[in-house]
Amino acid sequence: MKKWKNIKSNLPALGFLTFVVALWELFCRVAEIPPYILPAPSEIALALGDNFLLLIFHTRITLMAVLGGLALAILVAFVVAVAMDRWKPLKQTLYPVLVISQAIPIFALAPLMLIWFGVGLLPKVLIVALVCFFPLAVNLVEGFSQVDPEAIDLMQTMQANRWMIMSSIQLPFAMPYFFSGLKIAATYSVLGAIIGEWLAARAGLGIFMLRAMNSFRTSHLFASIVIVILLSLTLFKLVEAVGWIAMPWQRQSKDQLEG
Amino acid sequence: MYENLKTQPLIYLVTFFLLIVVMVPMGCTAEDPDEPDQVMVLLDWTPNTNHSGLYAAIEQGYYLEEGLMVEIIEAPGSVVHMVATGQAHFGVSFQEEVTYALLSNMPVVSIAAILQHNTSGFASLKEKGIETPADFEGKSYGGWGSPVEEATIKSLMKPYGADFEQVDIITTGEIDSLIVIEREADFAWIYYGWTGIEAELKGMDLNFIELRHIDPALDYYTPVLISGKNLIQENPELIERFMRATGKGYKLAIDNPEEAARNLLAHAPELDKELVMASQEWLADKYQANAEIWGLQQKETWEAYSRWLFEFELIEEMPDMEDAFTNEFLR
Repeated sequence: MKKWKNIKSNLPALGFLTFVVALWELFCRVAEIPPYILPAPSEIALALGDNFLLLIFHTRITLMAVLGGLALAILVAFVVAVAMDRWKPLKQTLYPVLVISQAIPIFALAPLMLIWFGVGLLPKVLIVALVCFFPLAVNLVEGFSQVDPEAIDLMQTMQANRWMIMSSIQLPFAMPYFFSGLKIAATYSVLGAIIGEWLAARAGLGIFMLRAMNSFRTSHLFASIVIVILLSLTLFKLVEAVGWIAMPWQRQSKDQLEG
Repeated sequence: MYENLKTQPLIYLVTFFLLIVVMVPMGCTAEDPDEPDQVMVLLDWTPNTNHSGLYAAIEQGYYLEEGLMVEIIEAPGSVVHMVATGQAHFGVSFQEEVTYALLSNMPVVSIAAILQHNTSGFASLKEKGIETPADFEGKSYGGWGSPVEEATIKSLMKPYGADFEQVDIITTGEIDSLIVIEREADFAWIYYGWTGIEAELKGMDLNFIELRHIDPALDYYTPVLISGKNLIQENPELIERFMRATGKGYKLAIDNPEEAARNLLAHAPELDKELVMASQEWLADKYQANAEIWGLQQKETWEAYSRWLFEFELIEEMPDMEDAFTNEFLR
């Protein structure tokens, strides 16, 4: 039932995309646009096919940076958010700093990361973590602070300690916040990894893009963009699926709402 | 409401997290500690035929013969920084960058000129009729908007008595130069060995004004191989081994361009094969050109360009060019 609903709700987007692609193909053919200016979708599909194994190879490298960075961001965001919730002065001190840190353009910071940490996987993981950390931490802090105080009072009268309150009330309550933060982070993460690879790398989708661009192969560049989109989409859906599994109570209430 | 979800989310979360952590190291390769010396080379740009000697030396096993395991990494924009800080052993740079690095006291030295002559120049579509720098007047130039570009155009126009003020400078940044001269501006600065060859393959008719034919001071070294001063002091023997193998690699690129092109493509299959083959053929006699051995650098070339930079007030002092380069690793 749910599956069907999902497909049905995605239909307009799919239809629109098909329409745009068809129009694009027609435009390229009728106007005879040179492929190095704008390749037709059919040429991009060909480029995708020709470079499939190569793209898989580069995607694997990028994926390592993405997953590593996401894992690190989740870990640090949890530690920071729990600590900020536990000690209010810490929250007052750190929260504004967190916001300020987001104003630093990642493009300016990334070259420094390379100089400090070399050209391996580590600086890319750190760039991804930096990009993903903020939405996660902010949402978690928000989630922790929105808990019904009466529930906490109740737990306290029942002699529950801090850890029990955290794990049985605050954490479940903050989960929807966490997962919406994670959705944002997951879409940003691929971008972060590619920025890192653009600056220095041996391989990865960023490198594929640069090589395609600098040898005048626009259709290959578009092929890698398609892969990036698929990668971001997969990560997004994966987060959604994990959220769906991890929060059965949300699932119920949503289904009830939707009838 | 709360009891049925006590620890459940926590368990899923931990599992999810562990899953990610476990997935990360997949695909990482283990390193052998006692095997050949690990050497890292940084490229200034996407791999191209300027770098063929390096790839040939890897593919033909020249580095392994010297006990070196060479890894090549693309690091456009950060090469000098990372070689200076010892994050990498060698890098591909160019004379202007090394000169600026020297003025900022960054400890890098040029150890070989990859090409003996500057193969860059200003390209335009034939129909625009830009045959000499005098024709720049009233035309538009598309580039990065850096001061050195303006100075170069000025410098080329001067002997013709043409007025630089009449040139319209447009910033086109990373846009492909061939597209720039087709639609954004009248002329652009290209390296003939790559972009010029691409134009030939596309069947575009170009006028090309080579810098060094107009102003000999602009026949600077681009690209060059650089290394760190610390490495030169601490481990000159490693540099000697690296350069012996690299020299052999460029020798192969000179004698057998087709094989060199194949070696480059083996490492960068994303490149256009036709372009690499044609570019390699074009560059074959330009790596060493008239020099006694490949890589040799002349003090006059280093000085002429820094004098030029000084004249156009792009640098505030003339550094001692003796510190900028060395030929000691070429024999």
